[in-house]
Amino acid sequence: MLDYLFAALTPLNILLAFAGVAAGTIIGSVPGLTATMAVAVLVPITFGMTPESALILLGAIYTGAIYGGAYAAILLNTPGTPSAIGTTFDGYPMAKRGDGDLAVTIACLASLVGGLIGAAALLLLAPPLATAALAFGPVEYFWLAIFGLSLIAALSTRDFLKGLIGAAFGILIAMIGVSEISGEVRFTFGSTTLLGGIETVSALIGLYCVPVLIELAARSERHLQEPEATRGFRLPEAFATVMRQKVNLLRSSVIGTLVGALPGAGGSIAGLVAYSEARRSDRRQPPYGRGNPGGIVATESANNATVGGGFIPTLVLGIPGTPPDAVILGALLVQGVRTGPTLFNEGSSIVYTFIFGLFLATLLMLPVGLLIGRFAYGSIVRAPKAGLVPVVAFMTIIGSFAIRNSLSDVGIMLVLGIVGWVANRRGFAVSPIVLGLILGRIAEEGFVQSWTIGEAMGSVSGQFFGRPLSMVIIALTAMSFLYPFMPALKRILKRGGEEAMPEKSEASDPASRAAILRDLAGIGTMAAVAIIALWQCSTLNLEAAVFPRTIATGMLVLCGLAALETILTRRVVEDRSSGSLPRRAGVPLAMAAGIALAPVLGFAAAGIVMAAGLMLCAEHDRRSARGWVILGISTAAVIVIFTMGFREALMVPLPRGLLY
Amino acid sequence: MRKTIIASLAAITLSLPAAAQEFPPGQVEYIIPFGPGGESDITARMQQPFFEALYDEQLVVSYKPGGGGAVGWSQLNSMAADGSVIMGINLPHIILQPQQGNVGYQTDDITGVYIFHYTPDAIVVPTDSPFQTLDDLIAAAKESPRKITFSGSGKGTANHLAAIRFDQMAEVETTYVAFKGTAAAVTAMLGGQVAAEWGYTTVGVGQGDQVRLLAVAMEDRHPAFPDVPTFRELGYDLVSGAYRGIAVPRDASEETRRAVSDTIGKINADPEFQKKMLDGGFALTDVAYGEEMDAWMKAKADEFIPAARAAGVID
Repeated sequence: MLDYLFAALTPLNILLAFAGVAAGTIIGSVPGLTATMAVAVLVPITFGMTPESALILLGAIYTGAIYGGAYAAILLNTPGTPSAIGTTFDGYPMAKRGDGDLAVTIACLASLVGGLIGAAALLLLAPPLATAALAFGPVEYFWLAIFGLSLIAALSTRDFLKGLIGAAFGILIAMIGVSEISGEVRFTFGSTTLLGGIETVSALIGLYCVPVLIELAARSERHLQEPEATRGFRLPEAFATVMRQKVNLLRSSVIGTLVGALPGAGGSIAGLVAYSEARRSDRRQPPYGRGNPGGIVATESANNATVGGGFIPTLVLGIPGTPPDAVILGALLVQGVRTGPTLFNEGSSIVYTFIFGLFLATLLMLPVGLLIGRFAYGSIVRAPKAGLVPVVAFMTIIGSFAIRNSLSDVGIMLVLGIVGWVANRRGFAVSPIVLGLILGRIAEEGFVQSWTIGEAMGSVSGQFFGRPLSMVIIALTAMSFLYPFMPALKRILKRGGEEAMPEKSEASDPASRAAILRDLAGIGTMAAVAIIALWQCSTLNLEAAVFPRTIATGMLVLCGLAALETILTRRVVEDRSSGSLPRRAGVPLAMAAGIALAPVLGFAAAGIVMAAGLMLCAEHDRRSARGWVILGISTAAVIVIFTMGFREALMVPLPRGLLY
Repeated sequence: MRKTIIASLAAITLSLPAAAQEFPPGQVEYIIPFGPGGESDITARMQQPFFEALYDEQLVVSYKPGGGGAVGWSQLNSMAADGSVIMGINLPHIILQPQQGNVGYQTDDITGVYIFHYTPDAIVVPTDSPFQTLDDLIAAAKESPRKITFSGSGKGTANHLAAIRFDQMAEVETTYVAFKGTAAAVTAMLGGQVAAEWGYTTVGVGQGDQVRLLAVAMEDRHPAFPDVPTFRELGYDLVSGAYRGIAVPRDASEETRRAVSDTIGKINADPEFQKKMLDGGFALTDVAYGEEMDAWMKAKADEFIPAARAAGVID
């Protein structure tokens, strides 16, 4: 064993691990650049290396990219990768109140511990865990997705019904495009743009980041609270916080390792399940969702634990645990290394050297991550709004392009961003929509497969409810759904029910007639979506239609209930913030212009045109002519550097157009 | 700024007579209409170093996933036709997708220039499965119709069509459960969620001694599995799989089409490349541009379309 440790610790490997973590962290911090892409881009570089060094480099990039996703989640409310969704829930509120630096450091520590626990499981428990992962069948994946959806109950305490409607909406838009498991083209309305479906990461960027940009431009206050003085990394404080969360930290790391070892799940589910469990068992203030560091600890430790966990089926079974693992397996195959069980049994020098390399990379994440995190925090906190808005907007565009090299995805990103912003104002929070979008596909696959197998076996209900593992997940799901209502339930049980509604009186005054009409219009729009989906389902074959039809029917019922609730209680949950309307409208307009011009002028030139428009929208301070010139030139420089980096280093075929 | 415009205009004008150019015109972009990590990506990566050795030019593999490949193929003809862009094509996808609905392209829009390999369909069971031979499995399927479940990658795919055609040939009824990709189908088979898998020979390589192949849909046995019979040997005329090749945009000149075809043929003829592919469980094919390709495509359409109709994947 020690031989392998020393084999991993050659100067070259240390250098590769270091460079890999740094490159991964930077790539992962850009919304849209996922760990899969970071790994795929660097695969050709590894062809000249020994398999051990190649694996260490790729593993280090992967580790770094998963952690890097936390920066954008905390500082911009935009998960850089789906794994970091849960990080936004508490990370962004922390950053808003001025604790962004602390949040970044906590994320780094949690990622470190999660990564180490995942790697330790890979070293010590890989074969049994891989066997255990195989016990997870389609039914279990279905219920696991439903378990993930139960987090909606927690995330939408303001209005549970609207949370459920939002999730159903997210599930329905996830069904758009060619369905791989039924082979049908669904909900595209004849458009080839929608054929490829809604790409998850670009949807995340749109739904989370565009509303932030619109609100940034609309108001004059700073993006994040600026600290009075530089406070360093706040490492002791972060360490103390993480220590208070040690149970959460361990539990989330274990959840991350186990979920990572399931080939059909991934970092996003791991993070959400860990978050859900952390929230259920932690009563400390502030509550989860409003800036409790426990939320960051849970998500970040769990998603980094999936790195080691994901390598378990990859190396033991030859089945990629996560999408980046699939790329790494492919790279090994090209190198002529036999992957799969033979690799684990016969190629143990490669495997163990790699595992120690993964430990090394995870440890290096602490210094590298803290330094890069410090830089990311500093630049976002200090940047003037008129520079921040255009640069972030450009990043969202170039990032959503790079995922599938598709300009349509960028358009879809912007449209969903506007939809998310409007929906949020009508009381439909974005997070349930995102959960539906991500988990809907997994749920549908599991549902249709279980149903087919159940029918073949002659017992559909036995398939869904009769398997022991499923029953455990169903019980956990029920607990998770009911948890937010526990205080109310307890009161009902204690007092016999009659006086169960005292909290209602503290609600706000009855809403105005106009507010009620607005609310009903919002609910009506959602109902219309459900009706359109039902109408479209009538032309599909049973396999393709069964899931969306069930969801749309449920959504329609929920819309009816929500409308009834609004009319009867005369209470409306909506978000009516102040701000200038022209500025708000200007942000999506400038972005749309930038997207439309990209193929004509070229990506960078269109980005600069867009940036000019966004600067005007976002500028609230008086600025001298000289200040404008400096700001303009530096923004343009950032855009050109990004374009060059994407085009030359990451080989993204950005449209060149007439200029650049 | 004006200089840049003039320069780019000049560049556009200069690049117009693409027909006269040599292949490759410089760096070549090799677009895979799927995400990284799949068989299309892996085999492209295997070709990459051989291409670069032939021409001393970079072959850049990039991805345009979506719609099971449809997003990439529907955009193929709008790309540069001077040989600087080539795209991976897959069968049965490009034959069946246009029949399934509006996917933005027709089969005839795709100018295929070479089919360089396929992953032969195979029936795969876990090592501890009671089915030792194909006959065991057929006997069980006859005894309890529809109860024998197979996992496989997708609907309307090579796996699915093989399942349909095999059921017809062997006069059995089995249940095909579609999974999202081969990895998920393998997981379900290894975990005992289904009785067997309609997979590929590559699964046998990847999973080693955890699995047993009952039969492979090839003309002759695969060198990596000398002990596994072909379906033909056992009396079922099933030679099929997922075929992969290369296409160029429709506007590419005859010279460019032939040049690309020759290049892929040269790589396919390299013994070192052949060894890598066979070790990975792939099977090489050589269908070159021209009448050979047209006839081959027609034969495959005649094979796939009736099976897909029987499967209810197309009307």
